[in-house]
Amino acid sequence: MTAKTDHTTHGSHLGRILVIAFHAFTQLVRMKVFYFLAVFAVIAIASNFFDLPQHEGPEAEGINVLRSIKSWSLGTMTLFSVVLSIVATALLLPKDVEDRTLYTILAKPVPRIDYLAGKLLGVLLLVFVSLALMDVLMTGVLQIRSSMVLDQQLAMAHSLGWPPAAIESLRAETALHGPSWSLQGAVFAVFLRASIMASLALLISTFSSSTLFTTIISFLIYFIGHFQADARDAYLQAGQAGEGIFARMATLVISLVMPDFQNFNVIDAVIEGQAMPILILGKLTLIGLYYALFFTVASWFVFAEKEF
Amino acid sequence: MDSPIPAVEIKNLVKDFKTSFRKQMLRAVDGVSIRIMPGEVYGLIGPNGSGKSTTMKALLGLVAPTAGQCAIFGKDSLKVDSRNDVGFLPENPYFYKHLSGAETLRFYGKLCGLKGKTLDARVSELLALVDLEGARDRRLGGYSKGMLQRIGLAQALVQEPRLVILDEPTAGVDPIGSRQIRDLILKLKEQGITVFLCSHLLEQVQEVCDHVGIIFRGRMVKEGKLDDLIAIEDQTEIVLKDASPELLSQITALIENSKGTTLIRTGKPRTTLERLFLRETTNREDQP
Repeated sequence: MTAKTDHTTHGSHLGRILVIAFHAFTQLVRMKVFYFLAVFAVIAIASNFFDLPQHEGPEAEGINVLRSIKSWSLGTMTLFSVVLSIVATALLLPKDVEDRTLYTILAKPVPRIDYLAGKLLGVLLLVFVSLALMDVLMTGVLQIRSSMVLDQQLAMAHSLGWPPAAIESLRAETALHGPSWSLQGAVFAVFLRASIMASLALLISTFSSSTLFTTIISFLIYFIGHFQADARDAYLQAGQAGEGIFARMATLVISLVMPDFQNFNVIDAVIEGQAMPILILGKLTLIGLYYALFFTVASWFVFAEKEF
Repeated sequence: MDSPIPAVEIKNLVKDFKTSFRKQMLRAVDGVSIRIMPGEVYGLIGPNGSGKSTTMKALLGLVAPTAGQCAIFGKDSLKVDSRNDVGFLPENPYFYKHLSGAETLRFYGKLCGLKGKTLDARVSELLALVDLEGARDRRLGGYSKGMLQRIGLAQALVQEPRLVILDEPTAGVDPIGSRQIRDLILKLKEQGITVFLCSHLLEQVQEVCDHVGIIFRGRMVKEGKLDDLIAIEDQTEIVLKDASPELLSQITALIENSKGTTLIRTGKPRTTLERLFLRETTNREDQP
């Protein structure tokens, strides 16, 4: 054994967090979670053939297919990213406690916040890479299909003798349904929503006794998050009881600790071909950061006092 | 001259746990004090559930004391920097099965701030020390119990700590693996590393430790230097080789003639079953 020398610097917070994050990422990758990408590929390609009911004229025929590809792809991305972020986070922490690997990590000079942040970052890295791969696949399929649709539509427009202005308008309309920066923004919004869920699952897993409990409660909060804004508004508008200061404070506190996922409905608008303003994306990023930080700090408060 | 800072200083440690029902408190450790000086090998022995592991966990900051203090080289155990100089091998550790032996050591090394060539060299050095060079790229899922204990010991040593804490280091390991771990502990002792171990394999504790504490129902019932504790002060042992029967009868007669001395026992000293097992199973020339 060599004599103890200067090289044993004890590392930085960021260094340790990254070590734990890359380890958690490797652990999940070696659990073969990327197999679901094959399922996604099938869905992305199959969505080319799903028949949606049509109410528009023949010029909208191809656009429906593009909408279908985006809808199925973003829907599948949402499903996979939320399931991955909740289940992976709910799994990693209790597994370390049960296997006592946590003892060996915390017996090293590793602050508990570094451990938590590293695990969360590892899950987020996995979700990000998964979404990026799915995004590439979706964009590729959409690019090929939108150029085919555009060719068909232009041929139709020329055969019907449409004026150049109308043809240009048709081209612009079709381009809105093809790959766009707004679509990339929508994928990022999916990632932000998954990040909130991963940090929430982290918080629950710090005091829960099982992976199953963490998973169920996380999904419950996910679904509540989709209608809590409606419930809040209904409560506030329900006459005298809802107008008092106490009621308003209560709803404010609820909105501070319970994410309102209706903010992410902008993803549906992108599927419909609308642009996502940069300000909306900025707002979603701030919302995502706020909840991710809030839940992580809350996790730390619980985990710092935990005994093993 | 100032006395050196103790490697381990546990003062009046008390630890209560809440039981699941009725919120009754269970006292796992009751006023335990331990002081281990640098370079010592200290064995904490006691039956299951006597508070050994809880004492170790309190020393590592994994549980907070209800009362009392724990310090490692003068640093409060509840502070993260106290862990800079300590390596820990928990009882029956399950490391990450998806990592190989080398990857495991790299992971723990990086957590301690090691990197680059220094880390590579340290990983190779430790794998050689615990005799796992041949299994460096094999995943831990395929390791035997003894190999897991040895890789566990290697990770405990990764940042060259001055103190190593071992909780039942040979639990569930066969006699050969157990002997290898014992030899490693002796190597650490030679290098001046302080070792704090707990075990209920008393023979092993006797072989490696120079200080021993006996804990029972959370209380320290006996503590001190091993030699002092186990010596039978009013008896003397003479071991002879190739002694003739005549010489033995002369010695016996001499003892019988001396006043105040009683011959208690004569006979052949026995080897231990462990030594017999090791002799019969290692380095046999008739084995392939």
